[in-house]
Amino acid sequence: MPHRWGMAVDLDRCTGCEACVVACHAENNIPTVGADEAARGRAKHWIRVERYWEGEFPDVRLKFRPVLCQQCDNAPCEPVCPTYASSHTSEGLNAQVYNRCIGTRYCANACSYDVRFFNFFNPVWEKPLHLQLNPDVSVREQGVMEKCTFCVQRINAGKIAAKAEGHEVRDGDISPACVQSCTANALVFGDLNDPDSAVSRLSRSPRGSKLLEDLGTEPKVTYLERDAWHDAGDPRRG
Amino acid sequence: MMPETLAVADRLSRDLLRPVFQTTGKFYALVVILGVIVLSGLATWGYQIYYGFGVTGYNWPVYWALHETNFVFWIGISHAGTLISAILRLVNATWRRPVTRCAEIITAFALMIGAMFPLIHLGRPWLAFYLIPYPSERGIWPNYRSPLVWDFFAINTYLLSSLLFLALPMIPDFALIRDRATGWRKKVYARLSLGWQGTPKQWHRLETAMHIMALAILPIAVSVHTIVSFDFSMAVVPMWHSTIFGPYFVAGAIFSGIAALIIVMAVLRRAFHLESYLLPLHFQNLGKLLLLMSLLWGYFVFNERLTAWYGNIPHEMNVFWSTQTGEYAPLFWTMVLCNFVIPFPLLAIRRLRSVTTAVLASCCVVVGMWLERFLIIVPSLSRKSLPYAWGSYSPEWPEIVIMVASFAAMALLYVLISKVVPLISIWELKAGEQPAAHSPTSVHEAETAGELR
Amino acid sequence: MDRRNFIKTTAAAGASATLAGCGNPETQLIRFIPEEPLFPGIATWKPSICPLCSAGCGLHVRVMDGEAEVVRNGEKGLLKMGLAKKLEGNPQHPISHGKLCARGQAGIQLTYHPDRIRQPLRRTGPRGSGPFQEISWDDAMADVLLRLNAIAAADQQKTLGFLTRRLRGQRNVLISTFLKEFGAPPATLFEVFSDDVLREANRQSFGFEQLPTFDLARSRYVLSFGADFLGTWNSPVAHSVAYGEMRQGRPGVRAKFVQVEPRMSQTGANADEWVPVKPGTEGILALGIAHVIFKANLRTPSAAGRAGDRIDGWNTGLQAYTPEAVEKRTGVATARIERLAREFADNSPAVAIIGGAPLAHTNGIFQALAVNALNALVGSVGEEGGLSFTPHPDTGTAQAGRRGLRELAAEILSSSSSPVQVLFLNDANPVFGTPPAWRVAEALAKVPYIVSFGSFLDETSLIADLILPDHSFLESWVDDVPESGTALSVASVAAPVMRPLHQTRSMPDVVLDIGRQLQRPVVLPWNNYEDMLKAAFAALADKSSNWDKILENGGWWSTASTGPSVNPARVTPAAATLQADPQFDGRAEDYPFHFLPYASQAFLDGSLAHLPWLQELPDVISTAMWSNWVEINPVTARDLGIAQGDAVEVRSVHGTIQAPALISPGIAPDVVAMPVGQGHATYTRYASGRGSNPVSILADLTEPVTGALAWAATRVGIRKLDNAAPTTPLIVFAGALREHEERHR
Ligand SMILES: Nc1nc2c(c(=O)[nH]1)N[C@H]1C(S)=C(S)[C@@H](COP(=O)(O)OP(=O)(O)OC[C@H]3O[C@@H](n4cnc5c(=O)[nH]c(N)nc54)[C@H](O)[C@@H]3O)O[C@H]1N2
Ligand SMILES: Nc1nc2c(c(=O)[nH]1)N[C@H]1C(S)=C(S)[C@@H](COP(=O)(O)OP(=O)(O)OC[C@H]3O[C@@H](n4cnc5c(=O)[nH]c(N)nc54)[C@H](O)[C@@H]3O)O[C@H]1N2
Ligand code: SF4
Ligand code: SF4
Ligand code: SF4
Ligand code: SF4
Ligand code: SF4
Repeated sequence: MPHRWGMAVDLDRCTGCEACVVACHAENNIPTVGADEAARGRAKHWIRVERYWEGEFPDVRLKFRPVLCQQCDNAPCEPVCPTYASSHTSEGLNAQVYNRCIGTRYCANACSYDVRFFNFFNPVWEKPLHLQLNPDVSVREQGVMEKCTFCVQRINAGKIAAKAEGHEVRDGDISPACVQSCTANALVFGDLNDPDSAVSRLSRSPRGSKLLEDLGTEPKVTYLERDAWHDAGDPRRG
Repeated sequence: MMPETLAVADRLSRDLLRPVFQTTGKFYALVVILGVIVLSGLATWGYQIYYGFGVTGYNWPVYWALHETNFVFWIGISHAGTLISAILRLVNATWRRPVTRCAEIITAFALMIGAMFPLIHLGRPWLAFYLIPYPSERGIWPNYRSPLVWDFFAINTYLLSSLLFLALPMIPDFALIRDRATGWRKKVYARLSLGWQGTPKQWHRLETAMHIMALAILPIAVSVHTIVSFDFSMAVVPMWHSTIFGPYFVAGAIFSGIAALIIVMAVLRRAFHLESYLLPLHFQNLGKLLLLMSLLWGYFVFNERLTAWYGNIPHEMNVFWSTQTGEYAPLFWTMVLCNFVIPFPLLAIRRLRSVTTAVLASCCVVVGMWLERFLIIVPSLSRKSLPYAWGSYSPEWPEIVIMVASFAAMALLYVLISKVVPLISIWELKAGEQPAAHSPTSVHEAETAGELR
Repeated sequence: MDRRNFIKTTAAAGASATLAGCGNPETQLIRFIPEEPLFPGIATWKPSICPLCSAGCGLHVRVMDGEAEVVRNGEKGLLKMGLAKKLEGNPQHPISHGKLCARGQAGIQLTYHPDRIRQPLRRTGPRGSGPFQEISWDDAMADVLLRLNAIAAADQQKTLGFLTRRLRGQRNVLISTFLKEFGAPPATLFEVFSDDVLREANRQSFGFEQLPTFDLARSRYVLSFGADFLGTWNSPVAHSVAYGEMRQGRPGVRAKFVQVEPRMSQTGANADEWVPVKPGTEGILALGIAHVIFKANLRTPSAAGRAGDRIDGWNTGLQAYTPEAVEKRTGVATARIERLAREFADNSPAVAIIGGAPLAHTNGIFQALAVNALNALVGSVGEEGGLSFTPHPDTGTAQAGRRGLRELAAEILSSSSSPVQVLFLNDANPVFGTPPAWRVAEALAKVPYIVSFGSFLDETSLIADLILPDHSFLESWVDDVPESGTALSVASVAAPVMRPLHQTRSMPDVVLDIGRQLQRPVVLPWNNYEDMLKAAFAALADKSSNWDKILENGGWWSTASTGPSVNPARVTPAAATLQADPQFDGRAEDYPFHFLPYASQAFLDGSLAHLPWLQELPDVISTAMWSNWVEINPVTARDLGIAQGDAVEVRSVHGTIQAPALISPGIAPDVVAMPVGQGHATYTRYASGRGSNPVSILADLTEPVTGALAWAATRVGIRKLDNAAPTTPLIVFAGALREHEERHR
């Protein structure tokens, strides 16, 4: 059976530490753009930790939500791309073929999650910062759209390793960089076609929902809402 | 042949062909000034390509802004021509005669300029050929599901057909010039006039061809701006995803097109002293059309706004209020002022109707319609579904220079074409001046006879 | 032909071949013969240790072949070498559990930083002005030796000073042994956000002068007083891993987490209940909770044992801490205090945590002792789901002793000839991190000779006379004994994962070299640091594994937790009466706001502000990048006419700074807060001249028992700077604050 990669994000675990954000930069050769460009709205973060305030002081709450490409099954970014640079893979990933991208930015407009980032300039790594670049991931030139790939290079490496060792990819064998680094194990990655995988089990959680589910994009990322605490004696309490 | 008929024909040819044959210093000055502006626009585009798209004010998440506004705006303007002249031709509105050429030229040029913007807006314009369906060894074709590919086909079709529509009725006038010109010019026009001799058979063929073109170009024009609207309405972006966009865009296009036509006509009237050809009647009639479109536009905006507001979908309301009372409200209400509040009384009140008011109203409408395009594109992108990713946009100089250059390009092309072809169709006008003496054949024969004498 | 000549020859041949080839200057460089076996394109993972904070996370480094521009034998060329590509947590390591925080992930940029000091520097211009000259290691060593020999010859060995960040493991042993053997006083430790107050309180309450370890994964109730334990405090990665388990790791059980603090921290944002409290009154609230527990007979005071004895009035039921009285002092409602107390007592195992700002008041020790007693009262000390103290393996001991920087600076300033003639600086930037009243820069200016081991020019190394750049941690032998974060006994160690990129040398090896080369040599029993580590780990190696195995694992750790919860051997004198109420600097009428500087999520105390990934990391709450800001409650901001991004002046008795305003609903109206980290005058291209430094307006108030800086005790006034844009604007990543915008129409 082909794989169908998905992710679960447990918002009850996520601490907002942003280890995932830096891990993604390190893994995927995402350049920093510098203060001036950042001020002009050109910073690139394939995964970001959104935060929303609720209420007013003193009864105020803050909610974190890591947002990355939702790898929509019904991805609005795909049909609009005139060159098939944004397209679907047989494993359900929304692939971004940099070589094909001519930079219309249409896909980014169509993406309801605003997870696509445009290269306004050629990336710069001031030497010798370039020595850190991951040779498994290509760097993107000016004019090209980029976004979270679910660390496809790691998926492929995992599949190759499994094949070399003569077994199927096992649950947990493959971790995208953000998942690997997630300090609270809030991010769980795996094969949704395997009903017993951790991500499948979590995706079935009653706390689970999809981001902007009503848009019908059919994301493969499931968010598990924050739980509440119930006092001792409260029958709902676990 | 009655002599007065010949005299009229002569006067027409003299007046209208004068710009073709006489070149003043003013012309050169204008060409230089406009040329410099256009070149600086091209240079700015080069600068944008060389240094990166980042020299513009574009940012995350407002990935479409001024270039796309200008794209939609110019494609809209292009509806002036073809639609108006085609409709007027089909209904055989005789007052159209001095107007059609002007309109058709606007169409061709506005399209050429508009079609530049999809190239200008690309991150990697040197790869624009990926949009062309050519067989490659990789077996990769453009994505026919993408509205941008539809755009590509629609605009190319429209450009081709409107060029044809413009060129066809030029043939007799080319022949006219051929017959009067000498030297290289004669040779060029001999080519351009495609062996036009003004035989009844030729006239008949031209008429038929024009009729077919007029019929064909109407659905093309409507579909083009519908497809342009699809660039937006096909995406699940708040306030974009709307069924009204097709007709709304077409109506807007015609609206801005008429306004552009009125302005161009007024300018030509002044510049080439065509007061006796472009009569207040023409401005009045076009003004009435503009009034009609203003009402239609208002109707569409009301529909669009009301359904969004009543539907009260949270994502849409964020965009809605940003334009009604928020960040973009000043632009929105200026647009309402320009497209409705000012032009409506100017055009509706009989006492106020004049060439000046028509031009005034048209200027307002052009500004208003430009704002409308901007307000469709930018507020929606700056307030998409996840508030964390909200942003805003203000242009940097490159977009503005390129935009100014696009207006200069329109003017420049107009100035240049005035050297190539009479801006008012001479033969049509002649046919209009002697309704009894129809067919045009006679006029032409007369002309030729005059030449011979 | 020896290797040296062979390399030269091939290099020359390579150079001429490539010169004739392409025009790309990069390919015109000499190519050196690789110095190590490499498998092209194959990644290997090597263990190392994160040096960025005191947690001591064990990590794994992905190493792959690549081509670096290096200098060999004085010639510049390209070398194919193993290069670190990515840092990840070491999955077996008891602190990191395979994870790293955002800062740890960015640590790799230390090695590849474009502004790293690449070889020894000698100052050429006036102090602090900048000009340095690149010199050879031979010349550099000669310079240091000349100075040290001079003081030794004059019998002035005690005028050698060593100022460093808190050191652990063998580096600590080495430096303290060296100083002792040389005849110098112990090293002066300096950290901006020091935890000495808590260590002292833990010594008094439990007999461990150490930070505590929490068993969050098995807690049912976590009551944290101001500790940003998921973000920046103590052992954030270990806490985060356990926190995830505490939330969703146990089917059917989910702990409650209450955070008490006047400004919502990243940690506080995760709380089930957030309790804003008047700054500096956390300890009073803790005792109010204890009072309710006694009153309701949920526990008796004696249950707290020795920790209770430390508190005035504890054994008589804390009569002064009725909820009503506590409400007046802390601003927390009576009913809430009563409810929290019941919840805390009823939901065992429960644990109380104190850290960060509550300890940085003049009453810090009182606050810590109060929370310690609360833990002891509900029996969470040394118990499952409670707190414990990490047992330390025996890998050698360092000389004890303490001379604070504040005292040292005062001493230097008050004497005509500086009591420190030669000062070594290691991994500390006190010019940036001390309040103005300490006059550290002035004091350092009086020290005749300063040697820095820094890798970057920061405010302090800028005034050094000589810089002996250290290797990056990835290029060095590293070791660590974590102070807390695990119930296991841990000693981490790792070999270099890559060859040095620049002409740098490892600080411990330089110190050993200096010792050997002195006229009166200080000969330590180790040839080099590697030997020293090997010797130190030999003791552990016998027990369960050998040196190779230890290196492969990235350290040694015990398999089961050991060690008592309360150290009976360390009995301390009975309670002294401690000041329960905090004191503040600045009159409330003139300086109406409490000023709360806090360790920033990205930069901690500012030592990481030079890493571009961290500069561009949107702060998780403000979403700010490349900036700093002053957090203001919306009501306060409205009253003062301040809008988001406006330039705001923050003024204390000791100075004035300006920063853009960040309007935040998560802060009390009478508190303004600023992250520490920006405001460097000099700290590489990425951090220099960016924002302002809140430490520079702090008062010189201290916690009297430990002498630690009470950095949360300053009061300030703020005002909008009209007609002025902030010198460094507020750059935010996010658009809107709220998911559903409130509409008032
Ligand atoms: N220096 C150097 N040279 C090499 C190699 C190397 O490793 N280093 N590798 C060699 C090898 S193995 C190979 S296979 C070759 C590859 O050499 P090329 O085939 O030149 O490879 P690319 O640069 O990957 O792609 C060529 C171009 O195709 C464009 N492209 C993408 N989609 C389409 C499309 O639909 N139509 C058209 N017309 N173009 C499209 C891309 O934008 C790109 O500019 O290079 C060889 N040369
Ligand atoms: N992102 C991205 N990925 C790509 C491509 C791309 O354009 N972009 N291009 C794709 C294409 S077209 C290709 S062909 C592949 C190429 O992918 P690879 O085949 O991985 O290409 P090389 O980098 O040339 O690596 C070959 C390795 O062989 C080693 N080698 C050289 N000579 C010998 C020898 O005599 N014996 C042995 N045993 N080893 C030797 C070299 O040191 C090198 O490490 O990459 C593909 N991957
Ligand atoms: S989240 Fe956006 S980019 Fe990702 S698949 Fe969906 S629409 Fe495409
Ligand atoms: S920006 Fe690139 S990927 Fe996106 S729609 Fe345009 S061509 Fe496709
Ligand atoms: S899956 Fe990979 S590419 Fe996507 S956000 Fe995580 S680390 Fe980045
Ligand atoms: S690393 Fe994990 S816990 Fe930290 S912010 Fe990302 S998702 Fe949340
Ligand atoms: S908590 Fe972060 S900075 Fe501290 S040691 Fe661990 S990874 Fe490094």
